[in-house]
Amino acid sequence: MDGCQSTIPTYEGDLHVVAAAHHIVKALGATKNLSDDLRKILIDLDAHLSMMTLNTDTKGGRGFVDVEERLKQAERKILSWEPDPRMIWDSGPREASEYLEAVDEIQTLLDGLRGLSVHENRKQKELLHRAMSVLQTAMSRLEEELIRILVQHGQQFDPKHMSSRSIQRDVVYDESFVSVEDEPAEETSSRNCSSDEIGEYIVDLVHAGVIPDIKSIAKVMFTSNYGPEFCEAFIGVRREALDQYFAILETEKLCIEDVLKLEWTSMSSKMNKWTWSMKIIVRVYLASEKRLCDQVLGDFGSVSSFCFLEISKATTLCLLNFGEAVAMGPRQPEKLLRLLDMYETLADLLRDIDTLFSEEAGSFVRLQFHELLKRLGDSSTAAFEAFRVAISSNGSLYPFPGGGVHPLNKYVMNYIGMFPEYCNTLNLLLKDQHADVADQDFEPEKGLDLSLSTSCPMACHLRSITSSLESNLHRKSQLYKNEALQHIFLMNNIHYLVQKVKGSELRLFFGDEWIRKHNGKFQQHAKNYERATWSSVISFLKDDNPGSSSFSKSTFKERCKGFSIAFEEVYKTQTSWCIPDPQLREDLRISTSLQVVLAYRTFLGRNSAHIEDKCVKHTVEHVEKLLLDLFKGPPRLSRNSRRW
Amino acid sequence: MNANEYQGSFLGRISIRRNQVVVMDAIHEQELEDIELFQKHVSDRFSELSSPSDDDAVLSISWLCKLLDVFLCCEAEFEAILLMDRDPYQLSKPPFDRLIPELLDRAVKALDICNAVTNGVESVRHCQKLAEIAISALDQKPIGDGEVKRAKRALSTLMAAINLDDKDGTNAKSTERSWSFGRRSGNKDRVAGQFRSLSWQVAKNWSAAKQIQSTIYNLVAPRGAEASGLPSPIYTMNVIMIFVMWALVAAIPCQERTGLPTHFPVPKQLNWAHSLIGLQEKIADEWKKKEKKGMAGLLDEMQRMEKSAQSLIDFTDSFQFPGDAEKLQEAAGHVAELTEICRIMEQGLTPLQMHIREVFHRIVRSRTEFLDVLEKASLPVI
Repeated sequence: MDGCQSTIPTYEGDLHVVAAAHHIVKALGATKNLSDDLRKILIDLDAHLSMMTLNTDTKGGRGFVDVEERLKQAERKILSWEPDPRMIWDSGPREASEYLEAVDEIQTLLDGLRGLSVHENRKQKELLHRAMSVLQTAMSRLEEELIRILVQHGQQFDPKHMSSRSIQRDVVYDESFVSVEDEPAEETSSRNCSSDEIGEYIVDLVHAGVIPDIKSIAKVMFTSNYGPEFCEAFIGVRREALDQYFAILETEKLCIEDVLKLEWTSMSSKMNKWTWSMKIIVRVYLASEKRLCDQVLGDFGSVSSFCFLEISKATTLCLLNFGEAVAMGPRQPEKLLRLLDMYETLADLLRDIDTLFSEEAGSFVRLQFHELLKRLGDSSTAAFEAFRVAISSNGSLYPFPGGGVHPLNKYVMNYIGMFPEYCNTLNLLLKDQHADVADQDFEPEKGLDLSLSTSCPMACHLRSITSSLESNLHRKSQLYKNEALQHIFLMNNIHYLVQKVKGSELRLFFGDEWIRKHNGKFQQHAKNYERATWSSVISFLKDDNPGSSSFSKSTFKERCKGFSIAFEEVYKTQTSWCIPDPQLREDLRISTSLQVVLAYRTFLGRNSAHIEDKCVKHTVEHVEKLLLDLFKGPPRLSRNSRRW
Repeated sequence: MNANEYQGSFLGRISIRRNQVVVMDAIHEQELEDIELFQKHVSDRFSELSSPSDDDAVLSISWLCKLLDVFLCCEAEFEAILLMDRDPYQLSKPPFDRLIPELLDRAVKALDICNAVTNGVESVRHCQKLAEIAISALDQKPIGDGEVKRAKRALSTLMAAINLDDKDGTNAKSTERSWSFGRRSGNKDRVAGQFRSLSWQVAKNWSAAKQIQSTIYNLVAPRGAEASGLPSPIYTMNVIMIFVMWALVAAIPCQERTGLPTHFPVPKQLNWAHSLIGLQEKIADEWKKKEKKGMAGLLDEMQRMEKSAQSLIDFTDSFQFPGDAEKLQEAAGHVAELTEICRIMEQGLTPLQMHIREVFHRIVRSRTEFLDVLEKASLPVI
């Protein structure tokens, strides 16, 4: 009896201490602001103490009565939700936390039961079996609750709120090239205001308020070894959300075959869309998804990155495939800028991609991105080459009416006007490409002002392009039968070329020497024009006999008539000629006036004796006035100006 | 005079043409030899594929990888025969002006199939994950009701994913609809596999079966004089490409396979095609057997997985704690089989996916090279 008495207090004492400690641990565990480490320690301790209770229980011979009672209670809680049509997490935070507590309790009991050394105990086995069964019920339920929470609280952000440089750029050249011409500089320079406009823009893809709920479900599922179920459910919902986001971006999935069949206009807008979607998907959506995975699964090691990969892989590959399809399409010159956009976007995103998919498992995705970048680069270079070929091979059957600025010239100059924006990329891509045409306009040894910009690969290629353009324009000028018109055409076009270079950033790449040379060229054509047109007209007014001061009356009459006919002939043809640039037109009229009017005035002055109304058809003032009518352009100027 | 001296030089070739008929004949001779060798290699490679060892049954993951390797080898050889030292103008003349664009068209279709199948591998991986859950539940000792329920849940999802009609994945209207699930709407077997297939879409209304059909369309074996010249390796390459894509579609789940052709005509008298025809018939028979049921495809591992999973579902249906010893042992056998399959998948699926991607990139590159040659041919002669 004595011995017995002495053991009971010890046993009861143990029990009290353990119970008290357990109580404290539970209370501590309920505290909100605990570090994860500390919380984990408390959970361990909790399990440990439960086990001790059980151990002392069995030792004390009280059997599993207490354990069974606790299990029963938790079981009741869990099973009571089974027939309930409501979702637990919809029913309020108390219900949810009570449910989780019940699951916790089962886990604690399971840990305790498993930790027992007595293995052949029938009761223990039975309880273990029962606990596992309840746990399974609870886990199934939690999986369902999880899916419900994820679906109900999933949030999609509106991509239109993301300001993006590509959107602004579209304004610039989705329109026809005519309107591009005089776009204010601010519009185009918007592109330069930094690549990370979208920045690390992270949004809540799932409402921030439910993250703790999801985390608590994750915690309890992972502790019970139901991690795989959690992941499958999580991945499933999130993957679908990403798929749906495609619809929000209005990005339709296209197979390669269809992409290759696209018309240029829709191709162009799809390329544009891709550039835009890509940025939003990678910078915003995937970055946010990554954060969500880390928030929810960060505590469970590599699980987070595994889930992220599973969620994003298919969609990412789909985006890449569009890029592949574009890169393998026909090498149209007009594709160049869009391709460069895609290339730059991708190059820009590469670092994000490498971070998002940094793990070994993500190397597949990473690799595909790098592969595509290379391909887009090759494709851009090919398009550049196609552009050059298109310029030199663009042929015309008929002379361009009026001798004005040829559409090819406009197109090319406006197009290359965009190049400086892509300077770094083009330099990179064109580094190993030889400029086809000898770069005769560039003499580096002369240039003290030689800055890097005039000798970079892009500059060489730019000059080579304009040099092809000039040769082509020369060929086109040969289509005019009238020599004077040939010169007007070349003057107009070279003047336009120079103006475009001078008035834009292109200036930096062409350099002053080039500009000087080309100024000289068009001025020469102006002179040649004057000679070709007016020397024969003026020759009527010139004295063949330098000795005499005036003509004989009959000669004068004849000369007058000759002049009038020649002048009228010029007037008739050249009023329909065209000098679009007002300044240039003015200059040429003045210099023409100077020559013709002066010669005419002198001629009339010297022969004032012979002047009769009949033979002098035009007064000096009249001639002067008529000269103002020249170069007004063809009567019906803008028929469908041809583009190529 | 050595013909090689003229390699790559276009002007050289012109002079060959004008003056060196003998050399031309030598080149022609060489070409015939190359073609013969190519077709012998094709024949050898496919005969190896048609007598697989135990480790790689036809349409198993490792067999598919080998098949893709064979494709890559044949393709490389084919390209060498057609493009190396080739006068571009020859390829722009009949019948090549028709044969080559047709080949390139098929190549584009093959690319889309590669993508569809790459996505399909993801759904195989999904099945693997589900099987692993079942394994981890049934690997416990002793097995209780909880474990059995857990396994059953995973296996049912797995079976639903396997039996999922190709079309189901592509028609989901909205989240709301596909998520009206769960016991709350009375549907106890909500299937996680169903939404998984959504993102395997290549494009709306795209169909793997139609794609294969259109590659077979107007494929005609060269006849007469063409049968011995360059048109013949082009035909061979076409057949190989179609066969490989067709086998991939048959094996791996992908968008819309209803109506997948089971036959494409390859004349039996072609020596190189014997093994290929044999394989084709074998796979076609399998396909016909399974076509009526919704299915995951003929991938060997998936078929084995399906069998084991079905047996284990039967086991879980009849399970009563603590379970019959004999049945437990039988189940353990299936679990072991499932474990083995999952191990193979774990090791093989990523390489398979990489292989498919490699084939994709190769086709892209080769197409580009052909286009380059054709482009050269279209440039004006100076």
